[in-house]
Amino acid sequence: MVMFIILGIPLLLAAGAFFIKRERLFGMINCFGYFLVLCASIFIFKEAVSTGNIKALANFIYLDILSAVFILVISVVAFAAALYSIAYISKDIKENIISRRKAGFYYLLFNLFCFSMFCVPAVNNLGMLWVAIEMTTLISAFLVGFYNSKESVEAAWKYIIICSVGIAFALLGTILFSYAFSISGLSKSLNWSDMMPVAHVLDKNILKIAFIFVLVGYGTKAGLAPMHTWLPDAHSQAIAPISALLSGVLLKTAVYAILRFGIILIKSGEMAYFTHLMILFGVISLAISSGFILIQKDLKRLLAYSSIEHIGIIAIGFGLGSPLAIGGAILHIFNHAVTKSLMFFGAGNIVSAYKKHNMNSIRGVIKALPFTGILMLLGMFALTGFPPFSIFISEIMIITAAFAKGSYIIAFLMLFFLSVIFGAFIFYFGKMFFGNLPKGMEKSGEPLSGKFAFLFLFILICGLGAVMVFKYKDLLWIAQRLLQG
Amino acid sequence: MQGIILFLLLASTYLMIIAKRVPALIRGFRYQSFFLFLATFIAAFKENQVELYVVSVMIILVKVILIPYFLDLTVKKINVDENLGLFVNSQLSLALAPVFTYYSWVLSVNLGFGQGTLQSAAVAVAFSVISIGAFLMVSRMKAFTQVVGILIMENGIFLFASSVSGGMPFFAEIAIFFDVFISAVIMGIFVFRINKLFTHIDVNKLSRLKG
Repeated sequence: MVMFIILGIPLLLAAGAFFIKRERLFGMINCFGYFLVLCASIFIFKEAVSTGNIKALANFIYLDILSAVFILVISVVAFAAALYSIAYISKDIKENIISRRKAGFYYLLFNLFCFSMFCVPAVNNLGMLWVAIEMTTLISAFLVGFYNSKESVEAAWKYIIICSVGIAFALLGTILFSYAFSISGLSKSLNWSDMMPVAHVLDKNILKIAFIFVLVGYGTKAGLAPMHTWLPDAHSQAIAPISALLSGVLLKTAVYAILRFGIILIKSGEMAYFTHLMILFGVISLAISSGFILIQKDLKRLLAYSSIEHIGIIAIGFGLGSPLAIGGAILHIFNHAVTKSLMFFGAGNIVSAYKKHNMNSIRGVIKALPFTGILMLLGMFALTGFPPFSIFISEIMIITAAFAKGSYIIAFLMLFFLSVIFGAFIFYFGKMFFGNLPKGMEKSGEPLSGKFAFLFLFILICGLGAVMVFKYKDLLWIAQRLLQG
Repeated sequence: MQGIILFLLLASTYLMIIAKRVPALIRGFRYQSFFLFLATFIAAFKENQVELYVVSVMIILVKVILIPYFLDLTVKKINVDENLGLFVNSQLSLALAPVFTYYSWVLSVNLGFGQGTLQSAAVAVAFSVISIGAFLMVSRMKAFTQVVGILIMENGIFLFASSVSGGMPFFAEIAIFFDVFISAVIMGIFVFRINKLFTHIDVNKLSRLKG
């Protein structure tokens, strides 16, 4: 079973982090391991597309196209983060920011974190889904508080408390789903594959209340406004490779959980209810994030608020519910994951070169770090939805779907907020990237493994934009299959 | 019998609301978990289910012994002022608690749980435990209350699960216990770290990150 390779390699690497003390060597092994995981996840994706669904371990593991998409996204970002970590961690050790022992601890947590994220789309039981998502919070809290400074520990504390409370509500929602299942006279089970076929006979009122709890609970983890307050703190204080993982994929695993419950709700005939809630939270996220992006001073917080914006777009995409919109949302999940990882890696390089987060005192990045600067500038255009890049394609798909459905107000609001955010990004990045270097700064070299990570992500950003023009029919087919389970 | 245990469970929750010091709060949590154990044990005895016996043993092991012991240990180690720091004083909190309980009852009846039988009382108690846990989290200053508040909410959710659908599937139940225990330990570690860095554990003074 290929799925065991995907779940097994991170566990093996986590064990290996105990024994291999030379962080550079281990970084390479780590990177190779995630390359294998990436290959395995492409294989799984192909298998899921051709066979529909895969079950294993007495129904404990259940994969369909939806989970395969998320596994693919996680493995792409995890591979890039592993690649970037090699240089980043060695640099931190060289500058005496962290000790050798702590580097081993970092790789241990990194692998456990990836393992828990791979568990989320793989498990069938909705209770285990909850456990897996709570595990991601608990493990990544250490990675947020990794530098043990006052700010990072405060961020980690907020993160763990707000997400644990949020997720407690999600557990309540899960129990209500199982209650709806048990009063319809069926045997006790929380397996998604058992609930899905009988969704149409479940009590609709209980499902509606349960979905509210689930949406608020997992929405906290997904960073939907107004439950997003932990997100900018945690993302700005975590180590750069972990910021990429948090923003690129951790938020998406929570979106995955919402979708699993949402599909049951849609199957029971409550499509309109699902649409309204998702679009409401999506628009609120767009509005709040665009406001905070306008007044932002901190580079990494700017990127964190941009994650809230993109989660909002994804929520609107799934909420609209037509195949075009869902295809756009799925594509957007992938595009946002790769683009935002690139931006966080770049922000990591800038912060470690300038030793500060404040955008007002960062000047002349293109001169100081030419490679990072140019790729990040292109990444900025990609992130704000500029035409040749892939995010443009997915955003235009969602907006077209909104027009096609007649939801002109939603399309208008989306376009309005996106243009505000675009303006703010151009303003801040123009100031940061051009201009003269601050006194005492010199052009510094960039490590090779970091460059590879950038190029890998950049090829995906450009490549998908081009490929999707020819492959969009396949995407629509996948989107149609998604909501059928 | 089950009615009495439900009453005691609610009473122990009220005990935590009037607690002014950390050890009293932890003791209250221990009582609450013990009554939760009794409720589960009686259900196990009535239905004669092996799985429920295992779950009740897990409650006594994790929630009555291990977690309170670990919390007590952390309190002793960090050695700070044991007052909880009340934003809402205990009289007012106690006056608010019946309001939560009343609305939990209204919610439980409106959702149609059990139509006035013991089940609807159990659901009402569960909802009020959850809401009181959430209230404690926001109305007390010390980082400890947040940890205990989450654990109280988890107890309420557990009671809710066992009263409406006869509990979760066994495997998920055990995994959730494990998860709750780990989260209590990790939050304890963070309380420890906050105390080391800031030399206090008042969450209202954690305000470095803004905007």
